[in-house]
Amino acid sequence: MTEAASYVYLAARELSDDAVTGVTGLSDRPLRLVRNAGLTAVVSTVDLEEFGEDALRRNLEDLGWLEGVVRTHDEVVNRIGRLTAVAPWRLATIMNDDDRVAKLLDTWRVELTESLERVEGCSEWSVKMYADLSERPAAGSGATEHETGTAYLQRRRTETARHADAAQSATVAADQIHLTLSQLTAASRRLPPQDRRLTGHTGEMVLNGAYLVADAESQQFTSLVEELGGDLSDARLDLNGPWPPYSFATLESGGGG
Amino acid sequence: MSTATISTVDQARVPAGTGNDRSAGHQPVALVDLLDRLLGAGVVLSGDITISIAGVDLVEVRLHALITSVRAEMRPTDPTINRTQPRGIVR
Amino acid sequence: MTETKLPQRLESNKDSVERDLFRLVLTIVELVRQLMEKQAIRRVDQGDLGDDQIEELGTALMRLESAVRHLREQYDLSPEDLNLDLGPLGQLLAD
Repeated sequence: MTEAASYVYLAARELSDDAVTGVTGLSDRPLRLVRNAGLTAVVSTVDLEEFGEDALRRNLEDLGWLEGVVRTHDEVVNRIGRLTAVAPWRLATIMNDDDRVAKLLDTWRVELTESLERVEGCSEWSVKMYADLSERPAAGSGATEHETGTAYLQRRRTETARHADAAQSATVAADQIHLTLSQLTAASRRLPPQDRRLTGHTGEMVLNGAYLVADAESQQFTSLVEELGGDLSDARLDLNGPWPPYSFATLESGGGG
Repeated sequence: MSTATISTVDQARVPAGTGNDRSAGHQPVALVDLLDRLLGAGVVLSGDITISIAGVDLVEVRLHALITSVRAEMRPTDPTINRTQPRGIVR
Repeated sequence: MTETKLPQRLESNKDSVERDLFRLVLTIVELVRQLMEKQAIRRVDQGDLGDDQIEELGTALMRLESAVRHLREQYDLSPEDLNLDLGPLGQLLAD
């Protein structure tokens, strides 16, 4: 079966044809433009064998496949994003053909235009906070050879309570940092903490924040994050960006804030 | 010894938005961050371990089921125990 | 920014199969041990255990902790090697 479909990467306002001349996307196929309703979509052809509903369900569980597709998708978004404001689609938006893509632009015209306006001149920055919650036995309590069972339980209770307190403090600190950054940015969102098996990070991820920052204010923002990070003990901040603001114009999120 | 399958929680197909001129240049994004954003709902690794030897899958341990049953076993207190004398650990 | 590690199927060859199996078993033992310890502390706080019971319970758990630690060291496994990241179930040990 060699049925093909149109994979949509993003929408923008106006794009000239040469923005995609010679540029390839998924499956090494060339990018092309679809124009309608005052907007321009960037698309390329994909095979339903790989991107059809059943195939997708299968492939989305394959981390190797997923990585390849996500990277290519992100490359396209970034490339076009350097030329003009873009509204990226999430992964795997596939329409039967370019006519359907044109219709998509028309259907979502209002929301897309709002999105483009909202994120014009802005980028997404990621601030993650990792807290060191490893249990450290208090000095001098290590004499476990002659410890009674009762004393052992008492010690474990104290250590457990200390660990819980540390976790609580870390949470409070994370909330405070998110609040501080939220008040100074155009929009913000908290994303769920990430799985350590995927990231390999040490410590507990107590904040996974995404912030929409005007490019003109990025210097201020990064300095502030550095300052806030410097004030932390037993925790660290990890700043990344600038990125396309994927987290900030999906209709579900309502643009964050 | 372990493999991971990913359950994607959601596959939204709605538009997102972005800006232009990231003059600092495109910073490479960690895969997990990209997945979180492009898949829209975060990536979850299912807690299964598959043990294989010489390419043959032999044992699959469903950790979720194991944890749940262990948790159930930990349900406390025999209601017949006398509770009139509360006491903590003697300090 | 650290490189993202991708989870992989790690092939056990006949030399490491013992260690891999051991790691799995010890991971589960450690999980159960932590749950038991948590539960014991809860029971003590509830105040429905006698002093002798507390002492016996504490001693047993202490010995278990020591045994697991020795076994772990014997196979050159760090505490992190036994740390099961349960994802959404991670809360189980965190509370």
